[in-house]
Amino acid sequence: MSRARIPYRAVTAIQGGVFILFCLIVLLPMLTPTAARAQTQTNESERAIPVPNPSADLWREVRQREGIVAGRSQVAGVDSGTLINPYGETWRNFRMQQLIPYSGYLLAGVLLLLTLFYFILGKIKVDAGLGDRKLFRYTLYERTIHWFIASVFLFLALTGLILLYGRPLLIPLIGQEGFSLLASASKEGHNLFGPVFAVALLLIFFRFVRRNIYQKGDLTWLLKGGGIIGKRHVPSNFFNMGEKSMFWLLALVGVVIVGSGLVLVFPVFGQARITMELAHVSHAVTTVLMIAVILGHIYIGSVGMEGALDGMTTGYCDLNWAREHHAQWAERCEQEGEVVSESEVSSQRGEAAGGPAAPSGMQESGQ
Amino acid sequence: MSHDFAKGVAALESQIDSRVAAYFSSCVHCGLCAEACLFYTETQDPRYTPIYKLEPMRRLWKEQHTFWGKFAIKLGLSKPLSDQDFADWEELVYDSCTLCGRCSMVCPVGNDITYMIRKEREGFAAAGYTPPGLQEATHRALTIGSPMGVTLKTLQAALRHVERNTGLSIPMDRQGADYMALFSSMEVVNFPEYIESVACIFDAARVSWTISSQAFEATNSGIQIGSREAAREIVGRVVDAAESLGVKYVISPECGHAYTAIRWEGPNLIGRPYKFEIIHILELLDQLQQEGRLKLSGLTETPLTFHDPCQIVRRGGVIEPPRDLLGKVASGFVEMADHGEMNWCCGGGGGVSANERAEGLRLKVFDRKRKQLEALGVKTLVTACANCRIVLEEGIEDRDMDVEVIGLTELVAEHLAAAPAASSTGSE
Amino acid sequence: MIGQLIDGPLWYFSLAVFGVGMLYRLYSILRAGVKPDLAPPRAGGGAGALRNLFSRFVPRRDVATRGRLTLIAGYLFHLGLFALLFFAQPHVDFLAERITGFGWPALPYWAFIISAELAFVGLLLLWLHRLLHPVTRLLSSVDDHIGTGLVFLVMLSGCLALAQAFEPLRLLHLFLAELLLIYFPFSSLMHTFTFVFSRGYTGAMMGRKGVNA
Repeated sequence: MSRARIPYRAVTAIQGGVFILFCLIVLLPMLTPTAARAQTQTNESERAIPVPNPSADLWREVRQREGIVAGRSQVAGVDSGTLINPYGETWRNFRMQQLIPYSGYLLAGVLLLLTLFYFILGKIKVDAGLGDRKLFRYTLYERTIHWFIASVFLFLALTGLILLYGRPLLIPLIGQEGFSLLASASKEGHNLFGPVFAVALLLIFFRFVRRNIYQKGDLTWLLKGGGIIGKRHVPSNFFNMGEKSMFWLLALVGVVIVGSGLVLVFPVFGQARITMELAHVSHAVTTVLMIAVILGHIYIGSVGMEGALDGMTTGYCDLNWAREHHAQWAERCEQEGEVVSESEVSSQRGEAAGGPAAPSGMQESGQ
Repeated sequence: MSHDFAKGVAALESQIDSRVAAYFSSCVHCGLCAEACLFYTETQDPRYTPIYKLEPMRRLWKEQHTFWGKFAIKLGLSKPLSDQDFADWEELVYDSCTLCGRCSMVCPVGNDITYMIRKEREGFAAAGYTPPGLQEATHRALTIGSPMGVTLKTLQAALRHVERNTGLSIPMDRQGADYMALFSSMEVVNFPEYIESVACIFDAARVSWTISSQAFEATNSGIQIGSREAAREIVGRVVDAAESLGVKYVISPECGHAYTAIRWEGPNLIGRPYKFEIIHILELLDQLQQEGRLKLSGLTETPLTFHDPCQIVRRGGVIEPPRDLLGKVASGFVEMADHGEMNWCCGGGGGVSANERAEGLRLKVFDRKRKQLEALGVKTLVTACANCRIVLEEGIEDRDMDVEVIGLTELVAEHLAAAPAASSTGSE
Repeated sequence: MIGQLIDGPLWYFSLAVFGVGMLYRLYSILRAGVKPDLAPPRAGGGAGALRNLFSRFVPRRDVATRGRLTLIAGYLFHLGLFALLFFAQPHVDFLAERITGFGWPALPYWAFIISAELAFVGLLLLWLHRLLHPVTRLLSSVDDHIGTGLVFLVMLSGCLALAQAFEPLRLLHLFLAELLLIYFPFSSLMHTFTFVFSRGYTGAMMGRKGVNA
């Protein structure tokens, strides 16, 4: 029994689980004869002899199948009055039978959908073609914090997925020994980078919140499915409805992710096991949702759309791309004369092939 | 000018000392020096990053002083320094660096980048990759005695004019005087009022002084173009003249790089300490004023600010004297946000103003000074360097600004206790 | 087998390369020589060197504004790395056992974790800045990225081994640290030591001129 629990403990790495295990180990010598017999004998003995078995009563009290009854204990600590938390089994079943398979199907489904998208739509081209005129889109600071949160997110997603799907997917591949090592590494890495993600999320939120407030026209964009329905691109401002929604999802869901993560990673603020279980469930559900959304985000930025990545790497996006995807913003930039030529951009970026000073351009540094 | 790559490499090699080796070893390419350089801040062109201007020298150091460098060259992994590199970097080394030294103040690991650029120019000069404007100026300095072609006759004419205006007689070649004054060509040609002011102040403070007919030129194109030989020759003339006249002090004029040349580089160029001392005119005026020999009266009320000439203040160490003096003659003196040892250069130092090719860039980076002045809102700019002054005036004209530039020594002279009380900066 | 190699011979080898290489680098700097300054100084160079050694820890106002991302991230990284390198309990134990022979008070676990997090935030931001800013893009060489990358990997492997329960994870961390030690003397990571020379030389020269550099 206890051997089978080892990978499980490594996978979940939750203090509550450890505590249950600890209780079991402590109680095992005492309970083994009673419990083992109880399981096999209960049915027969109930019918055969109406006299209740005192061991069964004791077990019932200990097991607390009808809900938690906090007893008294000399041991100071959260939950020390509860010998066995019955919800632990509920949580375990949810994790094993619902969370892992369904979230797996969801992520696999998203990947499949994106693959289908790619094969049906291909890379969405800029109709007018990429030109040599550019618009300044993201400052250095904005790009830095974007890639900062991106790298931290990817690391957390990877380690989190290892912890979640390790038992069904990785143990068959690398064995229990290998996985226990990988799981320990993932758990430590995940815990250490968690708070870093919180910092990154704050930086992102405060930097981009203004441009993500919903405005007129966003609903139209949504109704037309962001241009997927119908052949036309739907005009939008600096960010379109989809991007705004992703931002707010990240912001709101991010709070849950960070909050539940902190509950899990610092079990020192009097959280009971039940709190930890709930935190784990919400952490898992929200992160899987976020990973699914981010997969779409990565798809558009990489292979899904021509010209979409440039703004986040060079800081400048193509004018034609902006006209087609962020028409209102592009129009305003053009009216204000903010269009720059490709050669100006490359000299700003220090890629000019000789030649003296670059003309005055956008203020890039100073962030 | 013909190009001699081998000679350039040899010269550059000889410039690599412990300091340069430590500096290149320490640089982590953080890019902060760019933020201190007006050529970068005003153009946003990353090639103007100060440490990037040192790529040729860094590569030579790497080739010769580091294990990896030697290894990579042997294996053909990296290309050795070539003639083309000199050609490519010439503009960065001469047109986009005024040797102002601001980058050297901000480097987190403490690298003196300016020190290295000064040395790198030795290699470029030896290889023959120098701007024509500076070549000509150096040539004139060596043959005629002044980068602007000012001869003794020109000076004498200017002095006669000064004597007529002031009624004083200017002592020439007086043996045993305490002080020997030097001037920059720019002062002789464009700002003779500086000479006039010096004459009046010295007369009022009873200073025993003279001008040498053998060496009156203070500027030194040699240190701008990066030629030790030329610099040594030019400094040597002053040293010979001063030591033959037996003066105790030689006065460096307001001109900035002249001070660096004669005060800090000179003894190292000629290889021995002088038998006299160098004193900057501002140091002398401040000293006279503190000793009570120079009596000043009246305060100019016009709000004014001070443009620190880099070579006098940041690279020269004359920081407090101009402020002391301004405090004695002006009530409306305000500092710019970045001042003293962190001032912004006018854009024309280090030979850039003598380099016609760089004019467009120089006027562009003048924006930095314009922004500083506009932020302060002051219409009168005092400075203490003839070169800064002319560069500032050109920039102000180019940008259609309403700012007047005046020399500090003249401002002090206007407040001489004996002088007419009606002086004010606006009347100049 | 590999574990023994990493824990024994390779550790001593990398330590030797680091020590000898570093001393050789410092020697090669000193060997280049400095000519004596013949210009009469305003103030002593020694005081200037000493002052500059410390004053450069405080950024100048103007550059602190323009380059604040570099400065903040730089401070986070360097302070965090310093704290966790010398004051994390496992490191104190390791250094005491292998090098010094004596230990010193270590940070509590939470402070160790916080310093690691700050160091990671700083390093990631600095690396991204290096990749994205036009100036640092232009300046950065392969060496800069190898150096940053190795430091990152050492820190990451260290954080993965935090449970201190798996020998292979400890060995991975140690192995990467050894690679870093071997790479160190050949790279601009040398600034860890040479910055003292740079600041000293500049401070002395500026001090002689009477300027607080």
